[in-house]
Amino acid sequence: MSYLILSIVILLIGILGIILNRSNLIIMLMCVELILLASTILLLFESRVLYTLSGQIFAIVILTVAAAESAIGLAIMVNYYRLRGTIAVRALNLLRG
Amino acid sequence: MYLLVILIPLLSAVGSGLGGRYLGRKGAGLLSSVWVLASSLLSLVLCYEILINGSTVYIELGRWIESDLLITNFGLQFDMVTAVMLIVVTTISGLVHVYSTSYMREDPHLPRFMSYLSLFTFFMLVLVTSNNYVQLFIGWEGVGLCSYLLINFWFTRIQANKAAIKAMLINRIGDIGLMLAIILVWKEFGVLDYCSLFSALSPSSACTWICILLTIGAVGKSAQLGLHTWLPDAMEGPTPVSALIHAATMVTAGVFLIIRSAPLFDYSPTATIIVGLVGSLTAFFAATVGLVQSDIKKVIAYSTCSQLGYMVMACGTYSCIGSLYHLLTHAFFKALLFLGAGSIIHALLDEQDLRKMGGIIRGLPLTYVLMLIGSLSLAGFPYLSGFYSKDLILELTYNNYCLISIYWLASITAFLTAFYSFRLIYLSFVSKPNLTHISAQHLQEADWNLLGPLLVLAIGSILVGYLAQNMVFAPGIRPLPLVPTMVSLAPVIMSVTGILLVFILRPYIIYYIIRPSIYGFLFYAWEFNQIANYYIGSTVWKFGHIVSYRTIDRGILEILGPTGIARFMIERTKELSNLQSGLLFNYALMILVGTAIALKLFSGYGI
Repeated sequence: MSYLILSIVILLIGILGIILNRSNLIIMLMCVELILLASTILLLFESRVLYTLSGQIFAIVILTVAAAESAIGLAIMVNYYRLRGTIAVRALNLLRG
Repeated sequence: MYLLVILIPLLSAVGSGLGGRYLGRKGAGLLSSVWVLASSLLSLVLCYEILINGSTVYIELGRWIESDLLITNFGLQFDMVTAVMLIVVTTISGLVHVYSTSYMREDPHLPRFMSYLSLFTFFMLVLVTSNNYVQLFIGWEGVGLCSYLLINFWFTRIQANKAAIKAMLINRIGDIGLMLAIILVWKEFGVLDYCSLFSALSPSSACTWICILLTIGAVGKSAQLGLHTWLPDAMEGPTPVSALIHAATMVTAGVFLIIRSAPLFDYSPTATIIVGLVGSLTAFFAATVGLVQSDIKKVIAYSTCSQLGYMVMACGTYSCIGSLYHLLTHAFFKALLFLGAGSIIHALLDEQDLRKMGGIIRGLPLTYVLMLIGSLSLAGFPYLSGFYSKDLILELTYNNYCLISIYWLASITAFLTAFYSFRLIYLSFVSKPNLTHISAQHLQEADWNLLGPLLVLAIGSILVGYLAQNMVFAPGIRPLPLVPTMVSLAPVIMSVTGILLVFILRPYIIYYIIRPSIYGFLFYAWEFNQIANYYIGSTVWKFGHIVSYRTIDRGILEILGPTGIARFMIERTKELSNLQSGLLFNYALMILVGTAIALKLFSGYGI
């Protein structure tokens, strides 16, 4: 049960980090990592409770995806920084409705 | 033969209207003149059958409106009233056709003119021969339409356009009255043809309303007080048009309507008194205005208005036959006066102002004699046709049961009529010349195409009154007013005094004895146009602009309709798209909120 609460708390921290963060894009990427971590913990907890392996398989898949995602994200960020000279989230408002 | 009388003018109109370019000016003139004259000869034969032999003819042509209880057929009814009207319409029209071929000789659009004249004759015949109110309405609207086309014949003149529109619109006010009357007749009695209606009549309060509405119709068409303003303006058309439409035929349609509906009026004393009052006031009003007009055609137009007042007044004394009699004699001498005025205008190179005439008796002796006959007849000089009918009407009004003021108005009008008709003769023919040099040199009589109709009309205006009295009064009982000797002599004294006064006092005396303000008041026709324009015209105009246009059309309807909805949609969508701020954390918040709402909503479905 405590694992469940732990994973939800981490998930909320990640989401709130994305919402409340106004300055740094790297923090946002870290928060995405946190959300993925929370889901991994949840899957592992579930596979332990239900005695199935599928949760662990998914956890490994998510680890892979998270690694790839953070790599691509960082690459985008570096390119963006090269173009604009800043990676403040506040400045990312060119696509208004 | 009965159908031919009506159809010949229509054929003539179609022939010279559609075939005008093949016939040419002379051909169209000849064709339509000959055909309409043939129609008038036929109508004389009909009158022999109807008036003298006393055989009323009733023809059913075909079925028209058949709805539940209402059955209205196309049908013709030739009785005494129709026969007299037939003579008036076809004779005057035939003579005007002949006259126009000379008067309008230089006009390039003569075929069109002839076509309109014949079409007008056709519609007038439809009006007088119909056997029900709906078919009468066809003719009624038709003559209105033709009057529009004819007043507007020289359509490049802005004044002619305005006068034509005015004539059409003011007539339309009366037409609404007639339409309402027809609807009321249908609601009350369920029939629209005269025979059934007049046999089904019973005294009811609706009769009064029907009669008042019919009177409104007659007021519009016959230019009675209130709706008379179109008649003087209609003088913008060519002179033969004024003679045909605004003297002899179209304006008598209103009187004809009252005469035709006489049995209805018998059931409504109220409406009859209203008719008498309207008629007498119109007669008096128009006569006073005619005193000071300086346009030769306007003088005659106001005298037409005044004489129509006499006719309507006669209807108001329960003596519709007397009215019909005056209609017949008036048609002859008024057409004579108008065509004579046309002859003067033609000789003076289109000069219409009385002040710029004078002394043309030397150049136009024949026209002078003819105009003198017409004016004497109009003034009611003894033993001319105007005398018979006018004298009768005056005595009838004295003998009447209701208002004696009608008699006094009519008597004063008789005096004024004599005065202004001789003022016209004096100023144009007798007084010192005021002509321009050019028109004095060109002064000569026109050809016989123009003078021939005048001669016929002059003979008519001498003899018709005497000849026709036995025919017109034969079917009914001739009204024999019992009046004191003084009253029976009064009209003659009045008219002779009026005539002599002109030659003793000189018409210029009017300038000196009347104050300028009163002179202006009379000259501008009692300021009727100005009052109507200021109080009615501009008020309606403002109402139309502010209320119906700006408040309703461009206001309420626009806001509830296209513009309002479009603006509302644009603003809402702007607000919606403003939610997409371009900031990443706002999107994240939106996703979170959306997910929460979705979870909340779909949790019920077992997800």
